[in-house]
Amino acid sequence: MEFVELIKTPRVDNVILHRPFLPTVEGTLCLTGHHLILSSRQDNTEELWLLHSNIDSIEKRFTGSMGTIIIRCKDLRIIQLDIPGMDECLNISSSIEALSSLDSVTLMYPFFYRPMFEVIEEGWHSFLPEQEFALLNSVTDEWRLSYVNKDYSLCPSYPQIVTVPKSIDDELLKKVAMFRYLGRFPVLSYYHKKNGMVMMRSSQPLTGTNGRRCKEDEKLINATLRAGKRGYIIDTRSINVAQQARARGGGFEQEVHYPQWRRIHKSIERCNILQESFIKLVEACTDQSHSVDRWLSKLEASNWLTHVKDILTAACLAAQCVDREGASVLVHGSEGTDSTLQVTSLAQIILDPSSRSIRGFEALIEREWLQAGHPFQLRCAQSAYSSSKQKAEAPTFMLFLDCVWQIQRQFPCSFEFNELFLIMLFEHSYASQFGTYLGNNEAERQRLKLQEKTVSLWSWVNRPTELERFVNPLFEANSLVIWPSVAPQSLQLWEGVFLRWNRSSKYLDEAYEEMIHIIEQNKELQTKVNALRRQLAELETEDGIHESP
Amino acid sequence: MEFSELIKVSKVDDVVLYRPFVAPVKGTLCISSHHLLFSSGTEGTMELWLLIRNIDAVEKRLMASSGTITLKCKDFKILQLDITGMEECLNIASSIEALLSQNSLDMMYPFFFRPTYMNMLEGWDQYSPERELAMLADHTDAFRISYINKDFAVCFSYPSVLIVPKSIDDEVLKKSAKFRQGGRFPYLSYYHKKNGKMIFRSSQPLIGPNVRRCKEDEGLLGTIVGSDERAYVLDTRSSQSIQQAKVMGGGTESTSNYRNWKRLQKALERGRILQESLIKLVEACNDQSHNMDRWLSKLENSKWLSHVQSILNAACMVAQCVEREEASVLVHGSEGTDTTLQVTSLAQVILDPDCRTLMGFQSLIEREWLQAGHPFQARCTRSAYSHAKLKQEAPTFLLFLDCCWQLMRQFPCSLEFNEQFLITLFEQAYASSFGTFLANNEKERFNNNVKEKTHSLWSWINSQSEHKRYINPFYSRNLFTIWPSIQPQSLQLWQGLFFRWNSLTQHKNEVWNAINNIINCEFWHSHKDKERHDLHLSLNTTEEQLSK
Repeated sequence: MEFVELIKTPRVDNVILHRPFLPTVEGTLCLTGHHLILSSRQDNTEELWLLHSNIDSIEKRFTGSMGTIIIRCKDLRIIQLDIPGMDECLNISSSIEALSSLDSVTLMYPFFYRPMFEVIEEGWHSFLPEQEFALLNSVTDEWRLSYVNKDYSLCPSYPQIVTVPKSIDDELLKKVAMFRYLGRFPVLSYYHKKNGMVMMRSSQPLTGTNGRRCKEDEKLINATLRAGKRGYIIDTRSINVAQQARARGGGFEQEVHYPQWRRIHKSIERCNILQESFIKLVEACTDQSHSVDRWLSKLEASNWLTHVKDILTAACLAAQCVDREGASVLVHGSEGTDSTLQVTSLAQIILDPSSRSIRGFEALIEREWLQAGHPFQLRCAQSAYSSSKQKAEAPTFMLFLDCVWQIQRQFPCSFEFNELFLIMLFEHSYASQFGTYLGNNEAERQRLKLQEKTVSLWSWVNRPTELERFVNPLFEANSLVIWPSVAPQSLQLWEGVFLRWNRSSKYLDEAYEEMIHIIEQNKELQTKVNALRRQLAELETEDGIHESP
Repeated sequence: MEFSELIKVSKVDDVVLYRPFVAPVKGTLCISSHHLLFSSGTEGTMELWLLIRNIDAVEKRLMASSGTITLKCKDFKILQLDITGMEECLNIASSIEALLSQNSLDMMYPFFFRPTYMNMLEGWDQYSPERELAMLADHTDAFRISYINKDFAVCFSYPSVLIVPKSIDDEVLKKSAKFRQGGRFPYLSYYHKKNGKMIFRSSQPLIGPNVRRCKEDEGLLGTIVGSDERAYVLDTRSSQSIQQAKVMGGGTESTSNYRNWKRLQKALERGRILQESLIKLVEACNDQSHNMDRWLSKLENSKWLSHVQSILNAACMVAQCVEREEASVLVHGSEGTDTTLQVTSLAQVILDPDCRTLMGFQSLIEREWLQAGHPFQARCTRSAYSHAKLKQEAPTFLLFLDCCWQLMRQFPCSLEFNEQFLITLFEQAYASSFGTFLANNEKERFNNNVKEKTHSLWSWINSQSEHKRYINPFYSRNLFTIWPSIQPQSLQLWQGLFFRWNSLTQHKNEVWNAINNIINCEFWHSHKDKERHDLHLSLNTTEEQLSK
C-alpha cells in the first residue's frame, strides 16, 4: 500500500490554525505520509508538525462552505483547523483518519525517520542485560544469567536473557514456566544492596480449582530466602479476584505449599477501569464550566488519584518489606505485565538512589517495562479522547509516571531529572519518531528488526544538548530510601500533563528559567573562586620555595 | 484584675510535649500572663513559647493519675501536653481558659511586649494619607486632604485623615455619610495612573423600602465621573440579599437616580458561612482516613475554593472595568468592611505593580484593611478549632491572603514577597506581639493609644533580619496587569498554609532551604567578589616579588 493512495488532497491554502494560548496562524496545510504540516510561509512564525500517530480522534463541523476539523491528540492537546472548501475539508479529514489508524507497525514513522543528529551513543546498546548483570555480580554471586528463553519459546513476553538464582538450573525453570501464566516464571527484578534482599516478579501460578502445586516453583522462590526468614508475596489483585482466577486455571500461592511466604493482597485496578478513569479525568480537565464544585466532583468521580494512591501504597508496601522487614518479595497479579510492573518499578524508585538518576531511570524503564514485556503497543494505541471501542488500551505506564511525579514533588531535590523528562517519556510512549516503544515485547521487537531499522529514543535523549533540558537544577544525590506520603491530602493532580494545554505556562516557565539561571551563575562563580584559590595556593608554595634558601 | 489571680498553677514539672514533626520532649511547663512556656531543661535545651492568644481550643482528657491537654492553635497547629497529676492538669487547663477569656484590649500582650532591640515609634507612620496625596499629585491634582472625620464623628470606622476629590466639599461628604450605612461614604480606594480611572468603596446607601434619595450622594458620584462617562457600581450581594436589605433600610443605587452608573452584581459570601467553610476545610485537612474520595468530597463540601474563586472573579471584574473598559468603579456590599475590601484590595494587586512589592503590599494592607476599618478583632477572635458559639468571626482576611497566594502561584516572578510573608500576616492577624492588628478600626486604636503603647508589626517585618525571609528570589518587576485564571482547574488548595503542620510540607521546606542557600550564596558571592579582588592583588604582588 502506498501512502499516496490515502492522501486525496495533499495541500490546502488559507487554512487557519487555532491552538491553546498561541495566536492563530493562517497558512498552508500539507499532508505527508506521517505528518500534518501547517506552515505560514513567513519567517519567524513556527510551523506545526503533527505526527499522524499522535492523533487520537478527529471531529469535523461545517458552516457554509467552511469546514472545521478539531484534532484531539494523544498528548492531550486539542487543535482546530479551519479549512475553506467542504470537499477539501472532507478529503483532509478522511486522509487523517486513515493515516492515523494504520494497522501495520512497519508503516509507522519510526521506520521512515532518519535522524538529523549525530548519534553519539547507540541507544539500542545503552542498557544491555549483560552490563546490568555485571553490576549485580560485583555485589553478590547468588545470581546468574539464564539464556533458557533464547528463542522466546519458554515465555514469549520475556527477553532472551533473564536473571535467576544461581542454584536453579534451566531444566527447573522450564518446569516453573509451565506452572506460571504465559510462562512468566519468577525472575529477579531488584537486588537491595543494603541488606541483600530481593524483589522478584512473575505472573500468577496456575493452581486452578484443585490446587495444583509445582515443587520446582516452590524451590525457585525459596532459593531467594535466607535461612529461617520469611518472604512476602504481594498479589496486586483483591482476594476475590484471585479466587475467581482459579476457576479459569489461574490462582495464587497457597499457604500449605508456600509455608515460608506470607501473601498480601493489594488491589490495583487494571485495563478497562484505568482507561475509563483516564478518559473521565481528561474530560473533567477540559470542562469549561466555571464551577469549583463540579470540577472537584468530576475529579473525584474519575478516581484517577485513587488509582495513583493504590499503586503508590502497594509500591511502598513492597519497599517496606524489602528495606524494613529485611524480607524477600515476589510481586504478581495475573499476567504480570501491568500492575506488577508498576509496583516493582516504583518500589525501586523508593529504594534505590541510582534509579532516581537519569541513566538509572532509563535503565529502569528498559529493564522493568520494555524487556519485562509491558505491551506498549496495545496499551498506548489510543489515548483519552478516542471514541472507538477500547480493546487493550490502558494508561498503565502513564500512571507509573504520575506516581513518579508525585514522589518527585515530595522529594524535589532527590531526582536528577525534572518533570519535563517524565512528560517526554509519556509523549513518546503514545506517538514517537523513535522505535523504542514499538511492539509489545522483546520478541516482537526483534521480529520487527527495530534495532536495524529505527532509531532508539535513548540515542536522542542521551545527547548532552538534549539532556540539558531534562536535568533538575535542584538535584542533590540522596542515597537514602525515600518514603513518600500516600495520604490523600498529599497527592495532587499532575498539572504538567493534564492541564498543560488549558493553562498558560508562560509565567511558570519564566520562574523555572530564572531558577536555572541563578543556579548556573552560582556554579560559575564558585568555579572561578576555586580556580583563583588554587592559583593563589600554588603561588604561595612557590613563594615558600623561593624564600626557603 | 490581676493576671496572677487567674493562674492557679504557674509551674508543672515532668510534662511531655508532643508537637508535629519532632519527637516528644519531657520538661517543665510554666504559665505566665500571656505565654505558655515549655522548657526541656536538659542539655541542648529546647524551649517553646506559645502566645496564649494563639490558642483556639483547649481539650482535656483525664485518666486516674494523669491528664492530657490538647491545645489547638489559631494557626492550625496542634500541641499535646501529658501532665502527671489530675489536679495539675485541671488547674493548667482552667488557667489557660481563664486567661483566654480576657478580652479587654489593654490587657493584650502587645501592650506588654517591650523588646529592647526595637523602637516603639517606628513603623506606625509607614503609611500616611498626606504622603499618599503627595504621590498622587504627580499624576492628578483632583484630590485634597479632608479632616472632617477628625474625631471620628462622621464615620467611626474611617480614619481621621481622608483623601477626597477636590471638587467635593466637606458639607456634601457629611450629607452623603448620613445616607450611607455606618457613615461610610464613597471613598477613594485606587487611582489607576494609566488612564486616570478610579476604584471607590463605600457601604450600602440607606434607600429603604420608601426609596429615599440623597441629592448630595448622587452629586458626589456624579462629580466623580464626567457627565459623558460610564461608570459601574459593583454590589457584592445577591439580588435576594439586596431586597432583604431594602426592607431593613438599606439597598443599592438605582440606575435612574445615579445616571452614568451601571449596576453589576457579584454575590460573595460573608460572615458565618465563611467561618463554617474554614472549619470544614481544616477538619478535612486533618482527616486521618486514607480515602481519596472522602478527602475530595470533604474538600468540595467545605466550599473554600469556591469562595476563593468568587472573590478572584469579582476582583478581576473590577480590574477589567478599570483597565479594559476604562471606567471607574464603586464597590460595596452592606457594611463595606469585608467583601468590599477583599474585592478592592485584590483588584489593586492585579492592576498595580506597586502593590506587588513587599513595601507596597504593606501599604495596601494598612490602607485597604486597617484604615478602611476591617474589624480584625471581631473577625479573628476565634479560628477553625473553636467550639465557642460563633459571633462575628470570619476568615475574610485569610481568604484575601489565599487569593493573593493563588496569584503568586500563577505569576511566580511578579510578586516581590513570598508565601512565608502571607503566612506571617495570617498568623499575626490572629495572635500577635504587635499592635498592628489590634482592635476593629482607627478610632478604637486611637482611643486605646495603640500607636503609643505597642510596637508596629511593620517595623519588625522591615528589620534587617526579618525582611530577607520574605523576599521572593524570583521576583522581577512586572509592569503589566496580571490577569489570573479563575478556572476551577487553576485554583489549588493553599498547602503551604493548610498542611503546614502535616508532614506533607516538609519537602517544600527542603526546596526553600535549597533556594535560600543559593540566595545566600549570592550574598556570599558579593563577599567572594571582594575576596577575588584581594586575591588578584595578592597575585599581582606575588608575581612582582617573583620577577624581582
